[in-house]
Amino acid sequence: MPVLEPLIELGRGLWTTFRSMFERPVTYQYPEQKRPVRPRYRGRHVLKRYENGLERCIGCALCAAACPADAIFVEASENTDEERYSPGERYASTYEINYLRCIFCGFCEDACPTEAIVLEDDYELSFTDRRSAIYPKEMLLEPVGPEAEPTPQRTPPGLYTRAVPEMEDPKD
Amino acid sequence: MSKTVTLTIDGKQVTVPEGTLIVDAAKKIGVDIPVFCYHPKMQPVGMCRMCLVEVGRPVVDRATGQVVKNEDGTPQIRFAPNLMTACTTPVSEGMVVLTESEKAHDGHRAIIEFLLTSHPLDCPICDKGGECPLQELTMRHGPPQGRFPYEDKIHFEKHFPLGELIYLDRERCILCGRCIRYQAEIVGEPVIGFYQRGRATEIVTYSDPGFDSYFSGNTTDICPVGALTTADFRFGARAWELKAEASICAQCPVGCNIVFNTRREAKSGGRVVIKRVMPRQNEEVNELWICDKGRFVHHYTHSAERLSRPLMRKGETLQPVSWEDALRTAAEKFEAAGKEVLVLASGRLSNEDLFNLKALADGLGGRAVLYGDMGGGDLTTLVGVGQGTNLATLGAGDAILVIASDLQEEAPIWWLRVKQAAERGATLIVANPRATKLDTYASFVIRYANGDEVQTVLNLAKKTDKIGQAFAEAENAVVFFGSEGLGLEGSQRLAVACAHLLRETGHVGKPNNGLIGVWQRANDQGAWELGFEPVADLQAAFEQAGAVYIVGADPFGDGRLTLDGVKERPFLVVQEILPTPTTEVADLVLPAQAYAEREGTYVSGERRVQRFYAALPPYGEARPDFAITAAIGKRLGLDLEDGSAEKVFERLAVTQPAFENLTYARLAEVREQWPIVGRGDLYYGGTAYENRRGLGVQLVPAAQREEPVTLPEVQGEAGPRPEEDEWLGVPVTRLLDRGTTVLLSTLLHRRIGEPFVVVHPMAAERLSLAEGQKARLTVNGASAEVTVRVDETVSAGVVLVPRSMGLPLYEPMKVSLKAL
Amino acid sequence: MAYILLRHREIPDIHEIDVYEKHGGFAALKKAVTEMTPEQVTEEVKASGLRGRGGAGFPTGLKWSFMDKNNWPHYVVANADESEPGTFKDREIMERNPFQFLEGVAIASYAVGANRAYIYLRGEFWPIAHFLDEKIAEMEKAGYLGERLFGTDYSLHIYTHLGAGAYICGEETALLESLEGKRGQPRIRPPFPPSYGLYGKPTVVNNVETLTNVPYIIANGAQAYRQFGTEKSPGVKIFSLSGCVNRPGNYELPLGTTFRELIFEHGGGIPEGRNIKAIMPAGASSSFIVATDEALDTPMDYESVPNVGAQLGSASVIVIDDSVSMDWVVEKTIHFFQHESCGKCTPCREGTYWMRKLIERIRHADGTEEEVALLKDVAMQIRGKCLCALGEFSTMAVVSGIERFAPDFEKAVATSSPE
Repeated sequence: MPVLEPLIELGRGLWTTFRSMFERPVTYQYPEQKRPVRPRYRGRHVLKRYENGLERCIGCALCAAACPADAIFVEASENTDEERYSPGERYASTYEINYLRCIFCGFCEDACPTEAIVLEDDYELSFTDRRSAIYPKEMLLEPVGPEAEPTPQRTPPGLYTRAVPEMEDPKD
Repeated sequence: MSKTVTLTIDGKQVTVPEGTLIVDAAKKIGVDIPVFCYHPKMQPVGMCRMCLVEVGRPVVDRATGQVVKNEDGTPQIRFAPNLMTACTTPVSEGMVVLTESEKAHDGHRAIIEFLLTSHPLDCPICDKGGECPLQELTMRHGPPQGRFPYEDKIHFEKHFPLGELIYLDRERCILCGRCIRYQAEIVGEPVIGFYQRGRATEIVTYSDPGFDSYFSGNTTDICPVGALTTADFRFGARAWELKAEASICAQCPVGCNIVFNTRREAKSGGRVVIKRVMPRQNEEVNELWICDKGRFVHHYTHSAERLSRPLMRKGETLQPVSWEDALRTAAEKFEAAGKEVLVLASGRLSNEDLFNLKALADGLGGRAVLYGDMGGGDLTTLVGVGQGTNLATLGAGDAILVIASDLQEEAPIWWLRVKQAAERGATLIVANPRATKLDTYASFVIRYANGDEVQTVLNLAKKTDKIGQAFAEAENAVVFFGSEGLGLEGSQRLAVACAHLLRETGHVGKPNNGLIGVWQRANDQGAWELGFEPVADLQAAFEQAGAVYIVGADPFGDGRLTLDGVKERPFLVVQEILPTPTTEVADLVLPAQAYAEREGTYVSGERRVQRFYAALPPYGEARPDFAITAAIGKRLGLDLEDGSAEKVFERLAVTQPAFENLTYARLAEVREQWPIVGRGDLYYGGTAYENRRGLGVQLVPAAQREEPVTLPEVQGEAGPRPEEDEWLGVPVTRLLDRGTTVLLSTLLHRRIGEPFVVVHPMAAERLSLAEGQKARLTVNGASAEVTVRVDETVSAGVVLVPRSMGLPLYEPMKVSLKAL
Repeated sequence: MAYILLRHREIPDIHEIDVYEKHGGFAALKKAVTEMTPEQVTEEVKASGLRGRGGAGFPTGLKWSFMDKNNWPHYVVANADESEPGTFKDREIMERNPFQFLEGVAIASYAVGANRAYIYLRGEFWPIAHFLDEKIAEMEKAGYLGERLFGTDYSLHIYTHLGAGAYICGEETALLESLEGKRGQPRIRPPFPPSYGLYGKPTVVNNVETLTNVPYIIANGAQAYRQFGTEKSPGVKIFSLSGCVNRPGNYELPLGTTFRELIFEHGGGIPEGRNIKAIMPAGASSSFIVATDEALDTPMDYESVPNVGAQLGSASVIVIDDSVSMDWVVEKTIHFFQHESCGKCTPCREGTYWMRKLIERIRHADGTEEEVALLKDVAMQIRGKCLCALGEFSTMAVVSGIERFAPDFEKAVATSSPE
């Protein structure tokens, strides 16, 4: 019956629709629900701290040198025992990453001699203007742990004597 | 010509003068032998052993004295059993040098490995990182992996200041001794030295303040590691982040070739600023060196106080206005004043600025006056040193007279080069009313009483004593005259006497002969060339003027001008880069660009025209001086060039005979210089830049152009003498003064110190004063608090008053000094 | 045999000027100054075949003849910086037979035309310096020093100068630097002192013992001197014997005496009947000679000692017996050279420190076989690259010790443990 033909087709289609109503959805309810990232995902940079709260970054600017997109701008200053940011001789007094430029290649991570800069999980990078695409140091620094003091710290003289802090068993 | 020697280095043949060292011979043909302790400007010591090479010499048959040949006819070569240091071995005929053989490579690798056993892993934060000879040579010759355990390294305290300008890192030091030898051999101020021995050896300073030398910054350039760094640039930027632009130092008349290293800076609001000043090679001017003033006085260019907008007086205050309003007002006022316009410009300005200013003054029929208190520039244009003069070529048989100038304080690099000429055997005559550091190297020291300057020169010209004879008989002779203890009139008279002395002894109109003015500003010579002259009574000139246009000068700050008692003040336009006491009293302030922000040329004291380039973007709305002047001129209907500095210079070259045929392109020409230095290999000559932007051209003095030269008559005495029961204050120049631009380099404050005066110990006693005591100095009604210093070589009755130290004294005059 | 150098052993009061005169003292000086030309004196010393006793063994007369005749004044410097561990011969000469030494200085000065001579003593020798000053004053009083000697035109003054106790100042150019008041660090050679020496002037630098031989040669003639010793190493030598022997001390013997004779006849053999294991013939700077019969029968002269793998040097024979482990000796020598390295050149400054760290690890911590190999490697890496001989010397005991006494190091590695 040529009249019934379309109805059958329609019914078939609806059946598919009906059936999928009972399948598990693949969509995430972003932003309420966030998709976990892969272990080696390269998201926004984080400037790490040591356990005592001192910053790992020594302001060497090798990340900026390695950056193929010229997205990083670093300026260094000297630590003193009265005002200490990092255990080395110098620290980054200015650290900026321009996320309009960053291509998340991770070369900065490779270049870092103190494992201070790590590309982590955060991928929520949206800006309303160019200026806010530049993340200053305060936005990149890892929060201070519960046990640790924020920087700058006052440290006893003679405790941090090395130009570049000695690395214990650096990871791969 | 001396004998030459032909040898083979890595298969390449080279012919060099006898006595050349292997390392230099190799450099000439582009074979880089690695070095640390060797520096082409210093005696070799062979300490670091980095330059080990294989050296073979032809075998000579003892019986016949002939070179033994191989079967194929080539000379038989016998190689020394051990590697030899290329830096201490002179070349010999037929020598064969291998720098790339397995054995030589083993030597290089061994030395690098040894050096790295005590060198810390500071590269990521070291100021030398990126331009470090040790880094570079480790990459090229070092072992792939170190065999020395990290925990066995010796550690020293970091951040060890040798003085407030130079920091030492003893861990990084490889004990090459370049800095110590530089201070001892080149500067002659051995204020640093080795202490202890073996692995415990370290560099120490023997002076207080630490590393007390005007040349200390140069040691950071030749340090092959990051052991010596400047406090100024400490952690300022990484070497590869810096941009480099050629310039000329504007701190004194030597005209040292420099490079401005610039970078964006957060604390300056993201503007590009000068991060450091580096020497640029010019073997005829400053070789590879600059003084600490030139190196550290650059902070004023990015001072937050800089003038960024035109300001106009509205009642008591200066209010920002548009350029259009400012230029229109200036033009109106100048037009109204007409012939009564006074243009007062200083030698801080470039030739292009001065040319336009002169044209403006001439166009209005006004007066163009050079700001300053030293005369004699008219004479240097006549009998100045001839084209082709190079102080480095003066030596035995030549004579140099330095009169009324403490050369180290006024022009440090000239001091260095005069000293070296004396060490090469030149007869150095130092004539000064008190002892100066140059006395040590002088063949003859003449100590005259203040006021006897002209007489001293006339005595020399009589050739009756051995000093006069030595000067007259010298093959070449150069006279440096300054303004120590003299004002405008005195220095003018001294210059005339010197010019006569030179002409009478036949020392004019040829290279390495003539007169050099030790000016107070970088381009005073240029201003004289372009027709500017100072006036004796500046205050009168100011009061008579209808409108005054002060450019690049601070006469109110220096006490040269005052508004006190001025009934009818002229309209005052001040063109400046920084606020000064003069801008405070101005009716109109025009913000000018610092010279680092624009192009231009200076004429050095040796009359070398040299170009500087724009290293920084302009500050705010500031414009170049020549362009501002041209814009005013155009509103007055004058045809002034405002397009570019180059265009102004083109006009200048057409109208000024001395500048004939000069173009920017010619000034930018470079020739190969020895030693070969530069970014290609930093280990040989240090981090001084090679010259790619021009060696400059020396102007031809009238005497050399064979034009008739008419010298003015010699006149009486140069200055007054102290009279009984009164104190004669005389001005002297100090390198680090309290000038507006200098003071903005806070690092130098301790070296600058407080205002002081110098008197003879007996004079101090009479005044019940002692060294270091505070006193009140009164000059012309103005008074200031000063610290008293004593010097037994100062004449009795004379009080030395340093210029630009906030003390209003610019010519010999009566002063009073009372203990506080 | 009659003594030539250690004459005080026969004539105890020879340090008194009248006693010295009575025994023929100053006759040689008078003969040289009044009867001979400087060239004749130099020729006589050349003919005697006298070689430098400081260690290098360079022919003395030849050195004198190298003095640049176009550059004046000339200086003579006596090297009394005797600092080599195991060497103590110059000290005995200066303390006990001072006039013969001073006479030698005076003759050498006459031979090279020097009017000033300096005696550079190590800092620890200050009592000797005072003593020599007295003796010099006595000679001046007696007319053997001072203006117009023996009525001729020749004048000579001798001065003593104390170092500050640095081994490196025994190196002739470092000695000259120190004498000039600078840091005691060696200069680049060439130029050698006979063309560029003290204050840049031609200078002869001779060892104390060398100069003490000179009066005998001038008084008795070159041939008389040549009756002692061998053809190429004529004369007598003081052997400073120390270490594991029964009678250590200075022995004046003809060159060419065998080790066996020195150690077993004169030195009385090894204590407690132990066996001889090794010999260091030139103090701490020498390689170890394995004390085989062949080695013991080797004559001690400049030519023969190299055949058994060492140099005669200053002939300070240190005897090592089988109770001693060689790694201990090597640690001592490295420690010495590391302490004495002047720091001027890289391989010596850094290399000796590295070697010290390695030997300490090998002996006192958990050293490994690889570290022994590395120690030898570092030593070899120092060789042939240093500015002066000190760096070179520092490697002699290390390399020969590891090469010739490997089991000692294996044992050291096996038994060492972290403290």
